[in-house]
Amino acid sequence: MGPSILTARNLSKVVPSAEGDLTILHELSLELKQGDSLAIVGASGSGKSTLLGLLAGLDLPSAGSVTLAGHDLGPLDEDQRAQVRAEHVGFVFQSFQLLDSLNALENVMLPLELDGRRDAREHARSLLERVGLGQRLSHSPRQLSGGEQQRVAIARAFAAEPAVLFADEPTGNLDSHTGERISDLLFELNKERGTTLVLVTHDERLAHRCGRLIRLEAGHLVTPLEP
Amino acid sequence: MAHLSFLRLPRLALRQLMRDARAGELRVLFFALLVAVAASTAIGYFGARLNGAMLLRATEFLGADLVLQGSAPATPEQIRNGEQLGLAHAKVVEFSSVIATDNGIQLSSVKAAGTGYPLRGELRSAAEAYGPEVAGGGPAPGEAWVESRLLAALNLKIGDSVDVGMKTLRLSRVLTYEPDRAGNFYSLTPRVLMNLADLDATGVVQPGSRVTYRDLWRGEPQALASYTQATKAGLAAHQQLRDSRDGNQQIGGALGKAERYLNMASLVAVLLAGVAVALSASRFAMRRFDASALLRCLGLSRRQALSLFCLQLAILGSVAALGGALLGWLAQLGLFALLQGLLPSQVPPGGIAPALAGIATGLVALAGFALPPLAALGRVPPLRVLRRDLLPVPASSWLVYGAALLALGLIMWRLSLDLLLTFALLGGGLVAALVLGGLLLLGLRSLRRLLAGAPLAWRLGLGQLLKHPLAAAGQSLAFGMILLAMALIALLRTELLDTWQNQLPKDAPNYFVLNILPDDKDTFAQRLNEFSVHAAPLFPVIPGRLTLINGEPVREIVSKESTGDRAVQRDLSLTWAADLPQGNTLSAGQWWQAQPTADALPGVSVEAQLAESLKLKLGDTLTFSIGGLERQVQVSSLRTVNWDSFQPNFYMIFQPGTLQDLPTTYLTSFYLAPGHDQQVVALSRAFPAATILQVDALLEQLRSILAQVTLAVQYVLLFVLAAGLAVLFAGLQATLDERIHQGALLRALGASRSLLVKARRIEFGLLGAASGLLAALGTELISLLLYRYAFDLHWSPHPWLLLLPVIGALLVGGAGVFGTRRALNASPLTVLREG
Repeated sequence: MGPSILTARNLSKVVPSAEGDLTILHELSLELKQGDSLAIVGASGSGKSTLLGLLAGLDLPSAGSVTLAGHDLGPLDEDQRAQVRAEHVGFVFQSFQLLDSLNALENVMLPLELDGRRDAREHARSLLERVGLGQRLSHSPRQLSGGEQQRVAIARAFAAEPAVLFADEPTGNLDSHTGERISDLLFELNKERGTTLVLVTHDERLAHRCGRLIRLEAGHLVTPLEP
Repeated sequence: MAHLSFLRLPRLALRQLMRDARAGELRVLFFALLVAVAASTAIGYFGARLNGAMLLRATEFLGADLVLQGSAPATPEQIRNGEQLGLAHAKVVEFSSVIATDNGIQLSSVKAAGTGYPLRGELRSAAEAYGPEVAGGGPAPGEAWVESRLLAALNLKIGDSVDVGMKTLRLSRVLTYEPDRAGNFYSLTPRVLMNLADLDATGVVQPGSRVTYRDLWRGEPQALASYTQATKAGLAAHQQLRDSRDGNQQIGGALGKAERYLNMASLVAVLLAGVAVALSASRFAMRRFDASALLRCLGLSRRQALSLFCLQLAILGSVAALGGALLGWLAQLGLFALLQGLLPSQVPPGGIAPALAGIATGLVALAGFALPPLAALGRVPPLRVLRRDLLPVPASSWLVYGAALLALGLIMWRLSLDLLLTFALLGGGLVAALVLGGLLLLGLRSLRRLLAGAPLAWRLGLGQLLKHPLAAAGQSLAFGMILLAMALIALLRTELLDTWQNQLPKDAPNYFVLNILPDDKDTFAQRLNEFSVHAAPLFPVIPGRLTLINGEPVREIVSKESTGDRAVQRDLSLTWAADLPQGNTLSAGQWWQAQPTADALPGVSVEAQLAESLKLKLGDTLTFSIGGLERQVQVSSLRTVNWDSFQPNFYMIFQPGTLQDLPTTYLTSFYLAPGHDQQVVALSRAFPAATILQVDALLEQLRSILAQVTLAVQYVLLFVLAAGLAVLFAGLQATLDERIHQGALLRALGASRSLLVKARRIEFGLLGAASGLLAALGTELISLLLYRYAFDLHWSPHPWLLLLPVIGALLVGGAGVFGTRRALNASPLTVLREG
């Protein structure tokens, strides 16, 4: 196995509330290598999304550390973390999260442009062709179906060739048939490109397609990471 | 919950409001109402206080109960009549004269007042400029009281001496108030008040001089009525009998007009604020659909739920209205400060009515613009707690527009606007808005094509504009119009007079001399020739009034406010000439060859525009009253006159030999290069009766008045600008959620904050620049039309107008980035939380 691409050590998240501090995540550690796929499952409010946010550098932990692609995220400010995300991270969201003011092609170009890539247009075009949307480049998100929007989102997620792809309920807003096809696409691309995949889901079938699985309950790891 | 008492409802509403106080749409609504109430309160106070000042003075404005006024002294019989009726009497003589000192000359309006003046009201004066005022008294013989601006103009102080004609007077006090100056709220020339006993010694008043004689009377109503009755029949044509009822009609008219325009500005501010209120109220309603559904589930009746939200807005509106009224009150103090010197120094405070009216305006606007969107909250189905896609039935557009129109109608009725003018302006504005808005939309659409190759920040910024093209066009148009109004006013203020002055010939006369006595005529001409080669000939002048046209009284022929009306309201300067003066061309009839024959009526040549206004044609018979005598003449020719030549010009030129027997003075104009003031001082001392007018000084005065007035108008326009900003903020509120979401997503994908800021700057900068460009083009077009067609001046482009797009970009860009700052600081985590 190669070197670690994503490491979390003793990660805790505490938020203040009216009744005193509330611990959402409790001293959680994990380590992922290049090409690994990890499913995070758990009930609503178990801390899945919080963990995803911390691992992706969208938020900072109250204690512990996250190292992403060799960068310790702790000392970085928001703009520096944004830079790390631009270079190493891709996202797929439950509700697709495409920008309405941009068309399909431009949405896929977005991370490439943030990364300063000159061949953004060509690269984005080939990716959209890869996900089967070569004929819909200039369509705006509103003109696309849910499944098509998620394909655009997946193309966007893989566009900058991220080291780690974070997917938050990627099939949650889709019917089961479309969901199946989207998850096929996700795992195909993941395999093709050797990306590390971190997936948050309720869907046990989807979770079990991942190489590894952790289960969270009230911020505690109940199914520890298999080595 | 279902038994929520109506006492608890307001408390609940207040608590909810406090919790929601940080919500953007409530702040915008608050700001919009604040602006609307402040604008209408400030303008309301302005009008009310000026009216108050006029009313206050109406009782004093004659300085007497009754005044007999004329361009010649009253007859001994007229005086005797009054004295026999037991009326108190005082005499006043007014004329213009040049006050000469070693420091220079200053044209002043001199008033020589006899014992007892004023009979009503009191003079007020101070021992030094801006010193404490003392009421009562008057200048003793040998003394003069002057306005402080005369002291400033000639660098004088109390105790110095000045020459009025041949008489030297010592300045003893600073005159701060004369009751009978209300007729002229503002006069171009400073006042010198002297004792009537010194008048003869000045030598200024000679037969034929332009002088106003006033006989002031005070007494019992019965006696006054008898005097009026006895005198009225025997009034000479140059005489008028005035009582306090005559009021300040003319000044009232001018002020009324000014107030109407200011009211229009306040209407536009209220209208814009209304749009902002409507936008933010509808967002307020939309964001409370869930809360309303929940309250209904918890057992609140429809009416209670609706009342709860209405109460919240009512509380907010009341606080905003009170704050706005206070702000408006402060703002009108600023307005009066800007117009200091133009307006009377004593202005009554105005009471509470304008503030109440302003508050009412705000609340009416709130009701008209906010209630229809709010009504939806009462119709939210409780089932929405389970199915969030359930929306209330939207209010009928009849209700929405009807309520807004009703509110506007109420406000317009209160402002007592000229309906025709208002609708013409609003209609014109609407048409312009539709045309320009359409063009803007087309422009935005064509931008979309260019967009493909643009850098990311530009695509993001422009993309946002293109996403809501209608809102973008509307906002850009609103700011464009506001900037246009401000730029046009600035342009007219700074440039119009300069352009006109620059286009005069280099050696155009810059001095006018009036009241040259016949005996001095030849020596004056000789002196003038010694230092000015550009002197016009000396024209004889006789003041006279046109009374009859073909035997019909003039009053019945001319329409109000026409040139003709203005010309017959006062004495005209009549002259005679053997030859057609320079700069005049005949447009009809024949110039006379010889003196009139004994049996025919003598001829008169009439200025063509006046002739048109008086409906005169060749051969008409005109009757003039000149110094108490009647003269008949026949229109023998019409002339066009080049008024810009600065040569002495006349409406009426008589055939030679028709006026020679009457008391005459002469007038002329000349050019003197700057820096020869001492020669003018010497001239004025040598000919004390002559009145020397400095054109430059008069223009300077005019320029300073214009500057003050335009500053005041721009000040009022600031309210309109603030209302425009309220609309912008309200529009931004509507897209804020979307922007926050977009910002968070971009951040999650790795965009830096600076990229987001840049995209926002581009978006709003472009919007503002488009407004500025619109304003620049509009201003340039209007200035071209005004110069070419209204003022007949040479037009050249104004490159500084290109600053407008920059100003627009900075203004709207700054406001836009400020209004969307929450979207810049949105945490990328929001995207995960939303799923």
